[in-house]
Amino acid sequence: MTTKDRDIETRRTGANRRQMLLGLGAAAGGAMALGARPSAAAERQVADAPTEAETVRRQPFYGEHQAGIVTPRPAHGMVAAFDVVVTSPRELEQLLRGLTERILFLTQGGTPPELDPKYPPADSGILGPVVQPNDLTITVALGASLFDNRPWLAHLKPNTLQRMVEFPNDALDPELCHGDLSLQFSAHDSDTNIHALRDILKTLSQFLVIRWKQEGSVPVIAPKPDGTSESARNFLGFRDGSANPNSNDAGLMDRIVWVGAEDGEPAWAAGGSYQAVRIIRNFVERWDRTPLREQEHIIGRRKMSGAPLDGGNSEHDVPDYAADPEGAKTPLDAHIRLANRRTPSSQRNLILRRPFNYSNGVTKNGQLDQGLLFIAYQADLQKGFIAVQSRLNGEPLEEYIKPVGGGFFFALPGVVSPGGYLGQSLVEAAGKIPNEQS
Amino acid sequence: MLKHLMAASALTLVLAGPALAAKEVTLDLVEPIADYKIFVAEKTGELVADTQAFVDAIKSGDLDKAKTLYAPTRMHYEAIEPIAELFSDLDASMDARADDYEKREADPDFTGFHRIEYGLWDKGSTEGLEPFADKLLADVTELNKRITDLVFPPDTVVGGAAALMEEVAATKISGEEDRYSHTDLWDFKANSDGSQKIFELVRPLIAETDPAFVEKVESNFNDVDVTLAKYESGDGYELYDKLTDQDRTLLAARVNTLAEDLSTLPGKLGLD
Ligand code: HEM
Repeated sequence: MTTKDRDIETRRTGANRRQMLLGLGAAAGGAMALGARPSAAAERQVADAPTEAETVRRQPFYGEHQAGIVTPRPAHGMVAAFDVVVTSPRELEQLLRGLTERILFLTQGGTPPELDPKYPPADSGILGPVVQPNDLTITVALGASLFDNRPWLAHLKPNTLQRMVEFPNDALDPELCHGDLSLQFSAHDSDTNIHALRDILKTLSQFLVIRWKQEGSVPVIAPKPDGTSESARNFLGFRDGSANPNSNDAGLMDRIVWVGAEDGEPAWAAGGSYQAVRIIRNFVERWDRTPLREQEHIIGRRKMSGAPLDGGNSEHDVPDYAADPEGAKTPLDAHIRLANRRTPSSQRNLILRRPFNYSNGVTKNGQLDQGLLFIAYQADLQKGFIAVQSRLNGEPLEEYIKPVGGGFFFALPGVVSPGGYLGQSLVEAAGKIPNEQS
Repeated sequence: MLKHLMAASALTLVLAGPALAAKEVTLDLVEPIADYKIFVAEKTGELVADTQAFVDAIKSGDLDKAKTLYAPTRMHYEAIEPIAELFSDLDASMDARADDYEKREADPDFTGFHRIEYGLWDKGSTEGLEPFADKLLADVTELNKRITDLVFPPDTVVGGAAALMEEVAATKISGEEDRYSHTDLWDFKANSDGSQKIFELVRPLIAETDPAFVEKVESNFNDVDVTLAKYESGDGYELYDKLTDQDRTLLAARVNTLAEDLSTLPGKLGLD
């Protein structure tokens, strides 16, 4: 297929696109465009750059799945991990009901009660007298240790949930790793995330002790005149998210991201998703001293346009590895080629990435402490993140990156309607205790 | 409080806080404050006596004895910290930590308990500690005198319950307070007992109006006591390193919640 053909192909309609993504379309044959996301789309993609429009947007809370997973990324993200102090299903229920209550308030907005000034105020006041939603989502996920350390919960652990593995290039800082529970906050501004975190710490201190947190952001980019949006850049200067699977394609998300009822997982887990979080430091000084051509070969894409190395001029163009078996154009060990070989069999390893860039300060050596708060969702942790990272082991990019923290978690299914709470199916499976709701 | 939170329907967008239960009440704090003053006087009396023995051990070069006396002596101070801290000059010279100074341990202004602790454990000797020991004894004596003359401010006393747990949350959970001797659990216990003492004294004033609050606070204090009791050893406590991750997490959760809940105590008692 020529570059021009691919240009045309990427302008196809959603229906054709979906067929193509599923490998059903005639055009899919040589291109191995499986799972690639479309370009021209009024519907925004999970990793498209945030646009100004979302200042006062409210993300719905109720649904089969939690918000914050296929929700397009706003400008600011944060992951916080906690140790959980619960010793019975009833206490777990109290924690999860409490979280649901706070998340509803914080993401939908409202006015905190005004207390007698003799008391500490009910709210930190960071967002003023009225808490605006500011596009906030809070996604709750559970770590393996929550299950492993509790006999009444252990048998309900999702099949591939495990303590984060240490990969060969990792230099994990124990103070930045693991946790019984993670909260992913994403919002229009960082103050909204911080406000939400402080609210939850204040109201749920009985059950939650914070272990670590990492904040990040992605630049806001106004949509182009033709309505298309683009992927934000990471701190290596490359567009990040270009080849993400189409997050607006519900069927595709069912296959790649969401645990289904037929997946052989514990029944309570249907509608949830595995969350892999990695705090990956970038050696930016060294990267900036690396020739452009080498940078592009390491990633496998053009730096400015994001186009693949074998042609095209847009980040949404798709590389054709079948036509480049020796890696003459896209090196065989380029990041994107290792991460996704684009063969029918690599289809099962697709993941949905939703990362943020972080900038923390300065290291003892006087280098910038910056990197990627990598967050990925998948229906199977083993076939998803772990398989992809295992293929990336030893990649040339490793010279410029160092994973130092993170954890593996399982994002709970959503709350379908008012009255329910996050994790209800899990608590009920753990042995429904007469609750003290009334 | 959590019960209230849970009782609110999922759609309720307000935080069910302590204010909902609070009423304007005028309460007689005279007796609890008088009792507290007696408690503090006892502690400062013991502090002076024990510091004298501690200082004697240092000056006679008895390293082992000095090390043994360090943690129990400090406990008297830690238990009454909300009052002792009213005298910020003495607090700085008696209880500052090396990180309060830019030059850390080398700073000439770094004196008091932790300077002596640094000498005894890190340097492993009583040598050169005499001036610090003399200064500590003088400070302790002065503190005792000032406290005797002090009219106890009710808001400081009542607010002290939360302040002590705040102190634990900020410095004792991490083991950074007694970083050379690792005797943090002694301080932990002293702070917590000091807080509990204040709570017990005012408890009768809220027991009837706010039983759920009283029950929750007592249960959290109990969790702290039971957990710390696991680390009792001889007349005191095991070293901080012995604390398991699980117990540290439990203690952190209880301490944070106590600090949170007790921060409403002055309001509940109508103090402004
Ligand atoms: C700091 C570390 C990383 C950097 C700087 C980075 C950078 C990039 C860039 C620039 C792209 C191309 C644009 C795009 O499709 O998004 C890309 C693609 C990709 N990356 Fe990474 N990445 C990092 C870590 C990871 C990790 C840890 C994984 C998973 C284990 C991963 C998986 C992928 C995948 C699956 C693709 C898409 C490949 C395709 O389908 O063509 N990346 N990455």
